[in-house]
Amino acid sequence: MTAPAAERSLTLKEVGQAQRGSRPDEVVIAVSPAFADPFTKTIVEVPHAEVIRQILAGIEEQGVHARMIKVWDTADLAAVAHIGARLSGSGISVGLLSRGTTMIHQRDLPRLSNLELFPQSPLLDAEVFRLIGSNAAQYAKGESPAPVPTRNDQMARPRWQAKAALLHLKEYECIVAGRRPVEVEPVISRLS
Amino acid sequence: MTTTEGRRSKRTEILEARPVNLDGFVEEWPEKGLVAMESDFDPTPSVRVEDGRIVELDGRARADFDFMDTFIADHALDVETAEEVNAIPSIEIARMLVDPRATRDEVIAVGRGLTPAKILDVVKLMNVVEIMMAMQKMRARRTPANQAHSTSAKDNPIQVAADAAEGALRGFAELETTLGVVRYAPLVAIALQVGGQVGRGGVLTQCALEEATELELGMRGITAYAETISVYGTESVFVDGDDTPWSKTFLAGAYASRGIKMRFTSGTGSEVQMGNAEGRSMLYLEIRCILMAKGAGVQGLQNGSISCIGVPGAVPGGIRAVAAENLIASWMDLECASGNDQSFSHSSMRRVSRALPQLLPGTDFVCSGYSGVPNADNMFAGSNFDVEDYDDWNTIQRDLQVDGGLRHVREPEILQVREKAARALQAVFAELDLPPITDAEVEAAVYAHGSGDYPDRDVLEDLKGAQAVMDRGVTGLDLVKALERTGFHDVAENLLTVLRQRVSGDLLQTSAILTDDFVPLSAINDANDYGGPGSGYRLEGERWEQLKKLRHVTSAENPETEVS
Repeated sequence: MTAPAAERSLTLKEVGQAQRGSRPDEVVIAVSPAFADPFTKTIVEVPHAEVIRQILAGIEEQGVHARMIKVWDTADLAAVAHIGARLSGSGISVGLLSRGTTMIHQRDLPRLSNLELFPQSPLLDAEVFRLIGSNAAQYAKGESPAPVPTRNDQMARPRWQAKAALLHLKEYECIVAGRRPVEVEPVISRLS
Repeated sequence: MTTTEGRRSKRTEILEARPVNLDGFVEEWPEKGLVAMESDFDPTPSVRVEDGRIVELDGRARADFDFMDTFIADHALDVETAEEVNAIPSIEIARMLVDPRATRDEVIAVGRGLTPAKILDVVKLMNVVEIMMAMQKMRARRTPANQAHSTSAKDNPIQVAADAAEGALRGFAELETTLGVVRYAPLVAIALQVGGQVGRGGVLTQCALEEATELELGMRGITAYAETISVYGTESVFVDGDDTPWSKTFLAGAYASRGIKMRFTSGTGSEVQMGNAEGRSMLYLEIRCILMAKGAGVQGLQNGSISCIGVPGAVPGGIRAVAAENLIASWMDLECASGNDQSFSHSSMRRVSRALPQLLPGTDFVCSGYSGVPNADNMFAGSNFDVEDYDDWNTIQRDLQVDGGLRHVREPEILQVREKAARALQAVFAELDLPPITDAEVEAAVYAHGSGDYPDRDVLEDLKGAQAVMDRGVTGLDLVKALERTGFHDVAENLLTVLRQRVSGDLLQTSAILTDDFVPLSAINDANDYGGPGSGYRLEGERWEQLKKLRHVTSAENPETEVS
């Protein structure tokens, strides 16, 4: 998996405290504290701009509305995704950690359950992020999409786990205890 | 002589290309807990008892305890002996662990009162060979065993049933599954149970899931035990998972109330992986987990880093620390399912060396998940060993005369149980009105290697069927009835006998497994009696004859032929 040729940067512009959505046709994308700032790419160097661009495209091509929040007081994926789901008008969210680990969640499920989990961040590329967006949107429409095919590379652990731990330690240093989730507007710009 | 800058030697190029250099290694970062077991930031051992209550633990006064300290002080440590045993020099205790003349019971009696920092202080004195010597004596069950993963990248129940049957036949005492898509769980758990009982009556099965569903499947008798009840070494990681030592203990009680075997899971590296090691070494935190499990009263623990093995594996001395954590679980008189269950290295040499500290002395389960499917199908993200290593494993057992729980089985027997497992599952699905299994799928199951060798299932129909299993309240007894009605009387009998164990509660004893004759084998009736050379479990007699067999062995009687 290689980063796309056109490099883009992502800025998350804070709009205000995240509110519960009323539109039944929306998916909330919930990201962890270090997403887009200070980190800029996943563990395998997919730019965060590309991650969000693909998820948004996947959601929008299903005719569903997307809204984005940043979670500040935890870097636990299930918590990030479930917070997003509880704020989502449809009850569906996509939760993301900075290193790329992703989950599709639903409001009514137990927090530690999920609709779809993509635990191996080194295997997630642009194509998978688009499919994740598309599936989340289909759940929001009340459909039952076939799950995004799970990739499995048993050698990701020995190659990447310790680096993932380092990235996570750095992400934890970005947690702001007690700070409520913030609604953000993604601004994607091409790097000159 | 001169050297040319930028030019690499042929040897360097060869070394660069070796698989070991695909593994990730990181520097230690002790302030954040990214260190195996030797850290200046770990506490110094201390304990003080007043009025029958521990008021100081490892340099911390009771008023400053976090909930792990409180739980360990109140439920794990033997208050009567704590001050006395903690005053014994660590070197004396380390020597007791290694010395075969000090009995297992004596060493356990000392261990009961030790604080986490004192236990760490003891094992820090031991090198990896001494750790193995001690493990040989401290393992709870006399007879070692092994556990398999049986999963499918497509969550295909027929694959899981066939591989479970083969795994059981090859010798695994426990079989574990999990899912890519969790909603598939009921069908795959049924497949594991049915396939397992075809391979060898008495094999125990479980399905690793979110805790509430895992408990429900257990209570319904669709699974026979549980293992993925994770505990952590710091309060912050516990809280992050919305848990406490008390909530985990309550969950353990729920299993015990139905006579269902269960163990906790923990391992070095999880806290630092989750970013909350509170500046302690991986092994110090794991010792707190082990004592928490002990305090909760569960019979056993799966440890040996488990899913975080890439973290201790990446730092200096990490695999020694992993061997030490297994030893400490056994020393605390818990069943130890000792890891070797996650992909660990690109290097086959490293994979084997990582397993030696468990395989050579023997543990209750050498692997807490040897992949009974190709690693590409392993939904626990790969194991340290998989089906392609079966012949290597059998050969290592034969070379060193050690019992790693497996044996060579001839192909016709394997094909026969695979077919029967697929047929039995086909019948059960039909009887329970679940999505049909075709004859083509059964045939594929007999000869398949991985999920790609099976016809694709209609996933959406399967997921509806899985939901129906939950909605209709299908239980283990329904599986027994379905098997009986469809002519699989022996499999029905096997499953019913396994289910009956929860009435007697025998599987709640430490390190319990079931023999071929459904006799529970545990630390009660098969206690480890190792006391030096010539004692304890010895690979001999009928079992040794089994393990002498390999796929290709030249006949001594007629060297022009092979025996197998």
